[in-house]
Amino acid sequence: MKKILALSTGFILLTCLLLSGSVLAQDDGKVSVMGVWGGQELEAFNKMIEPFEVATGIDVQFEGTRDLPTLLTTRLQAGNPPDVVQLTGLGMMKGHAQEGDLVDLTKVFDMDTFKKDYDQKWIDLATYNDGMYGLYISADVKSLVWYNPQAFAENGYKIPTTWDELKALTDKMIANGQTPWSIGLESGAASGWPGTDWIEDILLRTAGPEVYDKWVAHDIPWTDDRIKEAFQIFGNIARDSKQVWGGPITVLSTNFGEAANPLFDNPPKAYLHRQASFITSFIKDNNPDLEAGKDFDFFPFPPIKKELGTPVLGGADMISMMNDNEEARKFMNYLASPGAQTIWIAELGKIGVNNRINPNVYPDSITRKIAGVLSNASVFRFDGSDSMPAAIGSGAFWQGILDYVGGTSLDSVLNNIEQTADETYTTGAATD
Amino acid sequence: MNLRKTSSRIFLNIIILLFMLIWVLPTLGLLITSFRPEEAVSNSGWWTVLNNPLKFTQFTLENYKQVLGSAGMDTAFRNSFFIAIMGTLLPVMAAAFAAFSLAKIEFKGRGLAYALIVGLLVVPLQLTFIPILKIFNILGIAGTFPGLWLVHTGYGLPFAVFMLHNFFVSLPDDLFEAAYIDGASMWTVFYRLALPLSIPALASLIIFQFLWVWNDLLVALIYLGGNRSVAPLTVRLSSLVGSYGQDWHLLTAAAFVSMIVPLIIFFSLQRYFVRGILAGSVKG
Repeated sequence: MKKILALSTGFILLTCLLLSGSVLAQDDGKVSVMGVWGGQELEAFNKMIEPFEVATGIDVQFEGTRDLPTLLTTRLQAGNPPDVVQLTGLGMMKGHAQEGDLVDLTKVFDMDTFKKDYDQKWIDLATYNDGMYGLYISADVKSLVWYNPQAFAENGYKIPTTWDELKALTDKMIANGQTPWSIGLESGAASGWPGTDWIEDILLRTAGPEVYDKWVAHDIPWTDDRIKEAFQIFGNIARDSKQVWGGPITVLSTNFGEAANPLFDNPPKAYLHRQASFITSFIKDNNPDLEAGKDFDFFPFPPIKKELGTPVLGGADMISMMNDNEEARKFMNYLASPGAQTIWIAELGKIGVNNRINPNVYPDSITRKIAGVLSNASVFRFDGSDSMPAAIGSGAFWQGILDYVGGTSLDSVLNNIEQTADETYTTGAATD
Repeated sequence: MNLRKTSSRIFLNIIILLFMLIWVLPTLGLLITSFRPEEAVSNSGWWTVLNNPLKFTQFTLENYKQVLGSAGMDTAFRNSFFIAIMGTLLPVMAAAFAAFSLAKIEFKGRGLAYALIVGLLVVPLQLTFIPILKIFNILGIAGTFPGLWLVHTGYGLPFAVFMLHNFFVSLPDDLFEAAYIDGASMWTVFYRLALPLSIPALASLIIFQFLWVWNDLLVALIYLGGNRSVAPLTVRLSSLVGSYGQDWHLLTAAAFVSMIVPLIIFFSLQRYFVRGILAGSVKG
């Protein structure tokens, strides 16, 4: 026991010494950042901040956690929020802006330059109650259908440009004894989100952006016929063993990152896969021999109603500021610069949003092609589930997708989501 | 008669082996997966290696290389040790004093004090995050090791007091009376008599507390934050995985890396462990 006591006293002394050393070192300018990035993303982030740290001497301290909302709420309540935070959705941004947790960025940036650098659509997306509360550093395009060009060539299939052509193509595949689609909804605690993208993409194409905005704001209920129709179009594919590889059971149990793999089997188990631009890094990781453009390629998710055109659904990485201090201001201005974003998007294969970014930074022709899709899109809409309150957008909606694909009746699924929506939304014409 | 006994024993052993196999299977799968290349992990299940288990080219140390080679791993190990060692010793020491006085010293309100401490076992620790963090911010110890030690001491105490109390109660009173008659002070009785006798209980308590602190992710994340200079191994390992769950194959190797230390602690204190779990279960 004497030994233990002596040992522990020694440890206390030792750690106190080490601690005081590190505390002293941290006194000089620092900015704390909280985000969900890990792995490859974290490495890219560290590369992006390196020039900033060298140039300014400010220490950027990144705290990463995949459970960001919980940690952020706890920190806010306790009174020590991070200086800068990566928010994971528009709903979250609006919520925190309403609470007064966020700093209005129009006072941080030189807005004349900022407006030249960024399209109005990015400024609009970050604006809430006349303040700008988010900075977009990169985007993902979600309305893409991936395919295997060689398998298409072998079978003599052509790229569909309308929904009818797509239908004809999948019918032909089924007639040839093939399975058209591959879908994977599993994503750990976030399972179901790939399905929400389907619904959003379909709704944008069948009902248009105005209805879409109303739906996100809960001005129309989930039980609305137009929402129902979007679910049915998705269900006709995801619940049909002829349409989707392995049927609904495989759809539910396949990880989204592995869902593209069946396209590259020999012979392919499936021919089409609808997923965002970031899936390229999964395809390359899982099948290192494949070459972008030659072995895998994409076409835009085709329009369903001619008059509504081909809208683009997307996601974006958003940075917000919580503490207004000199270091955080410098850091935000650095993140808004094309230099910082070029490092970030080149590392991760994302699409840049700053107009001054040189298209040559994109690693391959596919990414350049996606950047073209994004800049040409007349209608761009932010991922709807990201924009809804978390209890819906990352809760009831995800669960609803899983239940629906699992065989629950559509009416009961939509009624369930509508019930949660009534409890969650504080605004919206459809909120009882 | 003898034959029947042997055959029933064989039958029992087969059943035990079967249960062990079911129990070990997931861990075995994890172990095998941790040695497989990323590509194979995403394309086929771990059981496919059983087709030709001796083909060593299908295994790789790449996952372990990536986990151990990633930046800041040594800091994370050091931090985990700081946190776990003090987060174990402080509550065990405090609990030993408290449990001894509650078990062997007569004073008013003893039963109530004991009931209150043990009652804290049912308070979910999530409930305490925000108030404690507020106090820590005022004191300026949020995000420091001493703050986390205090928290782990607080969270660990109810169970530690409960377990040691039951053990001390089981020690015969005659022993202590004899010591007092011989002129021993209360401190001497505690230090020379009660503590040496309770080594099995202390050892198993240390194992429990060490495992809990070592494996803890949530408490460290809340009070310490994910900042690399203070983050323990669990926080560091969880950030190996991307926000969409990319690179999860690294987690299999990471799990075994973080398991090494608890395993060493467990096996080195194992002979006390079995005795310790029974501590206080049967009155002396």
